[in-house]
Amino acid sequence: MTPLEILAAAINGQPAPRIPVFCNLLDQGARELGMSQKEYYSRGENVAEGQLRMRARYGYDNVWSLFYVGKEVELLGCREILFDDNGSPNVADFVIKSYDDIAKLEIPDDLTAHPAWAETAKCLKILKDEVGATHSLCAYLTASSTLPALLMGMEKWMELLMMGPADVRDELLRKCSDFYHKEVAAFRAAGANVLVYSTPFGSTSFVGMKRFQTFSLPWMKRDLEPGGVNNIVYYCGMAPFNNVIDQVRKELGIGVYYLSPMADLAEAKAIVGQQGLTCGVIDDIKMIHWTPEETRAEVKRLCEIGKPGGHFLFGTGVMPLSIPEANIHAMLEAAFEYGSYA
Amino acid sequence: MLDAIIKAYKEAVFETDKEAAFEIVNRALTEGITAEEIVFKVVIPAVEEMMSLIVKDPDANLAQHFMTAQIAAEVTEKMLEKFQHPPEIIGRVVIGTAYGDLHSLGKRIVMGCLKALMVEVVDLGVNVPAERFVDEALAHDAQVIAISAMMVHSANGENGCRKVRQILQERGLEARLRIVVGGAPYRFDSNLYKSVGADAWAGDGVSAGKVIVDLIHEVKKS
Repeated sequence: MTPLEILAAAINGQPAPRIPVFCNLLDQGARELGMSQKEYYSRGENVAEGQLRMRARYGYDNVWSLFYVGKEVELLGCREILFDDNGSPNVADFVIKSYDDIAKLEIPDDLTAHPAWAETAKCLKILKDEVGATHSLCAYLTASSTLPALLMGMEKWMELLMMGPADVRDELLRKCSDFYHKEVAAFRAAGANVLVYSTPFGSTSFVGMKRFQTFSLPWMKRDLEPGGVNNIVYYCGMAPFNNVIDQVRKELGIGVYYLSPMADLAEAKAIVGQQGLTCGVIDDIKMIHWTPEETRAEVKRLCEIGKPGGHFLFGTGVMPLSIPEANIHAMLEAAFEYGSYA
Repeated sequence: MLDAIIKAYKEAVFETDKEAAFEIVNRALTEGITAEEIVFKVVIPAVEEMMSLIVKDPDANLAQHFMTAQIAAEVTEKMLEKFQHPPEIIGRVVIGTAYGDLHSLGKRIVMGCLKALMVEVVDLGVNVPAERFVDEALAHDAQVIAISAMMVHSANGENGCRKVRQILQERGLEARLRIVVGGAPYRFDSNLYKSVGADAWAGDGVSAGKVIVDLIHEVKKS
C-alpha cells in the first residue's frame, strides 16, 4: 500500500500493514541545502527540495507546503519576517498597528494572483509532481480566530478580543474568515490533500468553555461551512483539547484530531473512537535532551496506547532544529516498528 | 462589608469581568474603604488566589491569565493615585523577551501581576540581547532578571538565558541576581529551565508573580 492508501485505511478502519507516520522537518530543509533560512524560504523550489530530501531520508508519509507560520500574512501585506538560522522565523512587521488599520485591511479577491502565493504554488506543484500520487501533501491554514494574532501580535489581539470594541473585533474576524475561505480553496485547487486547520482558540487552554462555545465555535463554523471539512485536521497549536472533541465533531463534523503532546492520548482515542482518526503527537521539545533510547521508549508508549483498534496516526509537534539527528532517526524507526500491524 | 467586597471582586476576576471588578472597587471607595485596603486586602489576595487556582484548575486558560493581570494592574494603578503615602516596594525586576523572539503577551501578564504585588518592573521590550538584561538589572538595582521566550530556539539557544547566565558568571554577579524564565517551551519540558541556567521557571504569567516574589526575598536574605 502507498502511504496515501495507509492513511485512508487508518481513517476508514480498514486493514493496513502499519499506522500512518507523519513528521514536519521544516527548518531542517535549509540546513540540508546548506542555505540560510532567508535564502531557503525565498523560493518555492528550495522548500520543495528540502521537503523531498527530508522525506527521502527518513521515509515518513507526508510532505509540507508550509514555509513558516506567518507566511499567510504576507498575502495580507506583512513586509518583514525575522529569520534566525537557529530556529523558526517570526513575524516582524504587524499589518495591523492600530484599530484604524482593520478597516483598511483588504482581502485579495484572488489569492493565487498575489506575488506572495507564487512561491507556495511552485512548492506545491513540485511536491505534487514528485510524490503527490503516493504521499500526503500537507497545508497549514490559520483559523479566523487566530489569524489576528499574526496580523497584530497576540498581545494586541487578546486586548481587542477581551476588552476592545465588539464591532471592530468582528470586522477583523469576518475579514480573516473570508481570507480562510479563499485560502482553503486555493490550497485544495493546488493539490493539498491534508489541510491542517490551526485553531488554538479552539482549545479551552486559550479561552474558557463559555467563550469557546459562544466565540470560537461560531467563528470556526463560519470558516469551515462553505468549503466543508473534507481532509480538514483539527489542531490547536500544541494546546490540549480532549474536552471539546465531542462538540467539535457534532457542530463542525471534523473527524481527524491532531492532539497536543500534553493530551491524555487514551482518553482522546476513546472519545474519537472508530468515527475518525486520532493523531498521537510526541513531545518533541523533550527530544532535544532525550537519548535515542528515551525517544524510542516514548514512541513505543504512544503506539501501544493508540494503535489497538486502528484509527490512529503517529505525528510530531514543532520538531525544533536542535533535536539531534540520532533522535529523529530513533523516533521514526520506532514509529514504523511499533506502528506495524504485522 | 469588606468580606463581601473581597468575595465579589474575586468572582469578577475569575469571570474575567473587568467592568464588574471596577464597579466593586468604586462602590467600596464610596462606602469608605481606603485605597490601601483595596490593594492589600482585596486586589493582592485575589491575585494570590488566582495563582493557586490556576495551578490547580485544569480549565484555567490564557484569557483568564490575561484578564487577571490586566484587572490587577489597572485597579492598582488607580488606587495608588489615592494612597496617603507611597507603598513600600518589595523589590525590582527587569523583564524582557529573549533575543530573537518578538512575542510580548506572556511578559505583559507577568508585569500586570507584579505591579499589583508591589514589585517594581522595568520593561525592556522584545528581542532583548543578553548583555542588556544584565546591564539594565544592575542599572536599576534589580534582584531578578525575567526572560520570556515563546520559541524553542529563543528559550534553548545560545543567545537567550544561557548567555545571561554566562555573563552573570563572568562578572561575578550570581549572588545578587536571580534568573527566571517562562514561555511555552518550558511547559513542554519542565527540566529545560535548568539546562539553560535559570534559577526558576513559571508555567504561566500569573504564577510567575509568586515565583519572582520568592526569588526577590531569596536575594534580599542572602
